[in-house]
Amino acid sequence: MIIVTGASRGLGRAIAERFVEKGHHVVGLSRQTESDLPFETVQVDVSAENSVKEVVKRLRNYDQPPAFLVNAAGIASMNLALMAPPGSIRRVVETNLLGTIFMCQSIAPLMIRAGIGSIVNFSTIAVSLALSGESAYSASKAGVETFSRTLARELSAHGIVVNCVAPGPIATDLLRGVSPSQINRIVEQQIIRRQFTASDVCDVVELLFDSKSRSLTGQVFHVGGV
Amino acid sequence: MESEAEDVLEQVRLLLEDDSVAVNRDTALIGEHGVMDSMSLVELCLRLEDRAVVLGFEFDWTSETAMSQGRSMFRTIGSLQDEFDSQQKRAT
Repeated sequence: MIIVTGASRGLGRAIAERFVEKGHHVVGLSRQTESDLPFETVQVDVSAENSVKEVVKRLRNYDQPPAFLVNAAGIASMNLALMAPPGSIRRVVETNLLGTIFMCQSIAPLMIRAGIGSIVNFSTIAVSLALSGESAYSASKAGVETFSRTLARELSAHGIVVNCVAPGPIATDLLRGVSPSQINRIVEQQIIRRQFTASDVCDVVELLFDSKSRSLTGQVFHVGGV
Repeated sequence: MESEAEDVLEQVRLLLEDDSVAVNRDTALIGEHGVMDSMSLVELCLRLEDRAVVLGFEFDWTSETAMSQGRSMFRTIGSLQDEFDSQQKRAT
C-alpha cells in the first residue's frame, strides 16, 4: 500500500495517479476528498495530530501494511518576512512541518512492524536558494529536511529509508501568484536550466520507491539540481 | 483489572536477550545507564501497543500528559509500567 498526503491536487495528486497507473494500491489523504479521483481517498488534516491518529487507526486494519509514504501535503504563502501575517506563518509551519512529522510518527510504526518501508518528504528549491518572499515556507521545508535526515538515522536499523525530494518551480497551485519572470529567475539558478513538470517529480519519487534505491537514505534530491 | 506491570518487565527481559542484566522497576531504560538502545525501545513500545489492544485500550507512546510532567515515561521500567497502567485505567 502506498500512502500519499495532499493527494487531491498538485504534486500529491500526480504522484498518487502515477502509482495507480502502475497498478499499486494507493490511499490518498487530503483535507477535502474529491469524488473524481481514481484512488481511495481519506479525509485528514495532517496538521492535527488527532486527525492523523484516527486515519492511522483505520489504516492498521488493511491487509497490506504501508510500504511507501509520500508526504506531499503542503501550502505556501509568499510574503516578505517582516510583513507575513502570524496566522499565515503558523498555517504554513503547521501543515508543512508539523504535518510531515505527525504523518511520519504515525506511519513509521506500521512500517517497523513490516520490517521495511520508504518515506519521501517534500522540500523545495527555496531552501537552498533562500528565495526572497518565501521565508516561512522555506523555513518550514528546511525543518522538513532536517527532520528527515534525523529520522533516517533513527529508522535505519528498522529497515526504513527516509528521503526528501526538493523540486524547483513546478506548475501547480502552489505557484499561484508567482510571476513568469520570478519563475524564470529561479529556473536560471538550477543546474539544469529548464522548468520541470509534475511528471518529472513523479519520476524521482518512483525511483525512490524502487527496491534498487534501498541504499539511499537521509538525502535531499533536487529536481533539476541546485 | 489485569495488571500489565509484570508484562512490561518481561518484555524488557525478552528484548535484552541477556540474562546477566538484572532488571527491575528501577532499571533505567534510556540515558547514560539505560539498558535499551533506541531500536529496542521502539520494539518495546510496539509490543506494549499490541498488548494494549488485547487489553482493550490504545497505548500512546507520545502521550502529552506523561511527557508534560517533565519526566519522561521512558526513564525507568517502573515509570513506563506506571504510565501503561495509567493509560489503561483512563481508558477502561
